[in-house]
Amino acid sequence: MSKRITIDPITRIEGHLRIDVEVDNNAVSNAWASCTMWRGIENILRGRDPRDAWLFTQRFCGVCTTVHAMASVRAVEDALKVEVPLNAQLIRNLILIAHALHDHIVHFYQLSALDWVDVMQIPNADPERTEKLAETLSPWTRNSRNEFKAAQDRVKAVASSGQLGIFMNGYWGHPAMHLSPDVNLLAFSHYIQALEYQRKALQVVGILGSKTPHIQNLTVGGVANAIDLDSASALNMDRLEQIRLLLEDVVRFINEVYVVDVCAVAAMYPEWFKIGSGVKNYLAVPDLPLDTAGTSFDLPGGYIMNGDLAGTRPFQTASDKVFRDAVTEDVTRAYYQDGKPLHPWKGVTDPDFTGWNGEKKYSWVKAPRFNGQPMQVGPLAQVLVGFAQGHPLTVKHATAAISKVQAVGGIKVTPDMLHSTLGRHAARAIRASMLAELAQKHLQLLTDNIAKGDYTVFNQPVFPSHEVEGVGTHEAPRGTLSHWVVIKDEKIKNYQAVVPSTWNASPRDLSDARGPYEASLMNTPLARPEEPLEVLRTIHSFDPCMACACHTFDPSGKQIANVKVL
Amino acid sequence: MKKLKVLIGGIGNVLLGDDGVGPYVAHLLNACYEFDSAVEIEDLGTPALDLIDRISGKDAVILIDSIDVEAKPGSVLPYRKADIMRLRPAVRMDPHAPALVDALLSAELFSVCPEEVLLVGIKAQSFEQGCSLSEPVQGALLETISVILKELDRLGVEYKVRECPAELDTWWSSESPLELSTC
Repeated sequence: MSKRITIDPITRIEGHLRIDVEVDNNAVSNAWASCTMWRGIENILRGRDPRDAWLFTQRFCGVCTTVHAMASVRAVEDALKVEVPLNAQLIRNLILIAHALHDHIVHFYQLSALDWVDVMQIPNADPERTEKLAETLSPWTRNSRNEFKAAQDRVKAVASSGQLGIFMNGYWGHPAMHLSPDVNLLAFSHYIQALEYQRKALQVVGILGSKTPHIQNLTVGGVANAIDLDSASALNMDRLEQIRLLLEDVVRFINEVYVVDVCAVAAMYPEWFKIGSGVKNYLAVPDLPLDTAGTSFDLPGGYIMNGDLAGTRPFQTASDKVFRDAVTEDVTRAYYQDGKPLHPWKGVTDPDFTGWNGEKKYSWVKAPRFNGQPMQVGPLAQVLVGFAQGHPLTVKHATAAISKVQAVGGIKVTPDMLHSTLGRHAARAIRASMLAELAQKHLQLLTDNIAKGDYTVFNQPVFPSHEVEGVGTHEAPRGTLSHWVVIKDEKIKNYQAVVPSTWNASPRDLSDARGPYEASLMNTPLARPEEPLEVLRTIHSFDPCMACACHTFDPSGKQIANVKVL
Repeated sequence: MKKLKVLIGGIGNVLLGDDGVGPYVAHLLNACYEFDSAVEIEDLGTPALDLIDRISGKDAVILIDSIDVEAKPGSVLPYRKADIMRLRPAVRMDPHAPALVDALLSAELFSVCPEEVLLVGIKAQSFEQGCSLSEPVQGALLETISVILKELDRLGVEYKVRECPAELDTWWSSESPLELSTC
């Protein structure tokens, strides 16, 4: 007899990810991912000036502000065929990298570490022993018994107060948790320290973007940063030095703490290399352009079908024809009026809400498809595409991480094991260490270019008299993001954003193929179905971001997931 | 006396109707009043856990956000730190859903949560996609501002009315629901 479990974080404002799973013999036998809010914000953009679109798209989501701004200016630039000066490319790249480093640190420590770390075991840890253990893992100077003791005291204070606060909803003592108390303490102390380094990364975004959370320095055709080595208010060598120092600290945290922690967790939960694979089609777009025309990149793009790494195909440009022509959105199982799968430039968003029905329509998320196939996007897709293509930077960092897991865990790790829940975490850490290296490289490129006397930051866009179409892509922290714009008479005629979480959280399609979240949950063992920690582990490994759009405060305090067992 | 470091932060999504009231009020305050340099006024959008960074190191924080509660649309309701701290955090199904409660609870764990927290909640009428505020929420703007100013008075923070209101930087909004001369 199968059980049905629904996990639905209840807030009065709908707009969250809901997961339904059927459980047979303590393993998932069927799964549905759905979003409970209508995503039709694009309709607001029709009729507006394309040069203003980025200000609006930056408000799609409060966590991914920068990425939607960037994809939007790139879409309009693609439509208008305007090149972007080198300084502007590099300034944008640095913003994107700093934002991604911030995002990856936040994801691991604030949002998913506690799926693996049992906070309530920490009072049983021994800070001295933890220090010895830490010495074997990393040269991080803050791995000291004093730091560990302070972190432990914090947990003890919370545990003894009876007011668990932020820990109120954890599945503590769950049978799927099995780190030693010392490892739990080690990871938890980094959870506290992470706050300082995620802030430093955000400060880099703030210096270059002139403000966070909403950057102000973008413009179609470049950036609005004035570069003047003699002016205190412009981008000058002092500011660049300030960025260099901030990045140094962030890079050290990534390499000596974040990557090490992910490798250690992976080494101690090796069973999770066999769980959570799902859709093995991967998609990534090239990013971090190194020239004005956008023909060479520091992050490679391409796609992989059915896990066949040898058969990977690269994308040459950020708006590669193969990518542009292959994307459609299917609404067979989404709450929109039925119709054929449509290309985003032709996309329509006519809602038809019929209520959750797993056999018919059940989500507000459309199902994006690439040549008709569901695709997994995110750091794993990016790392696999780079690895498969022999991209030196990817190979270097992936190999280092794999060796670390092998050394700590005494297990053999093959690239094939990356098709898993742990693989997604490992790939995100690998990507972070790649980006950490690239942050310093791009800062140097920018400094050198300015030192040569090039202060250009902007090319004036020109609107053609006929209708034009453009796509702007960005390999965002959560994966491939694309904004699609149609411009007529200097106004937006159509606008669609195909966001990473739409690819991953996609519902089934007309051929009944499950989306990546759904497929990844199949066969997941659940130790206690009424406490579906294992489902959360896999879903969190994707780093979903569904509806940051709406954050209304609910004073009734009912912000708790409803886990229903039927 | 030491000057208090204060953050006044408008929270909400300006593309979702009344959810934009927090950012709107932040811009309105900036247009109509001059504050001491230790007072920061920010349109924070929907910052999720980044709110921890924003409030960290402040002595007092005043947040403005739309609320959903049994009340007449446009009702202005204050919540204090203790009211918020007793609420449950969200289960992090969607890891970016954690909002205000989670941010404050985390900030408390990290020992960076200000002592003085006031959330000025405005009961929304509609969260439909759109860039304008409903009539009842427009009608609540002046009351919201007066609640904020009273809190500043209580904290002993100085401010003064601008003789000539600055430009209202609510770029997303096509109309101006409030004549600046009235604030």
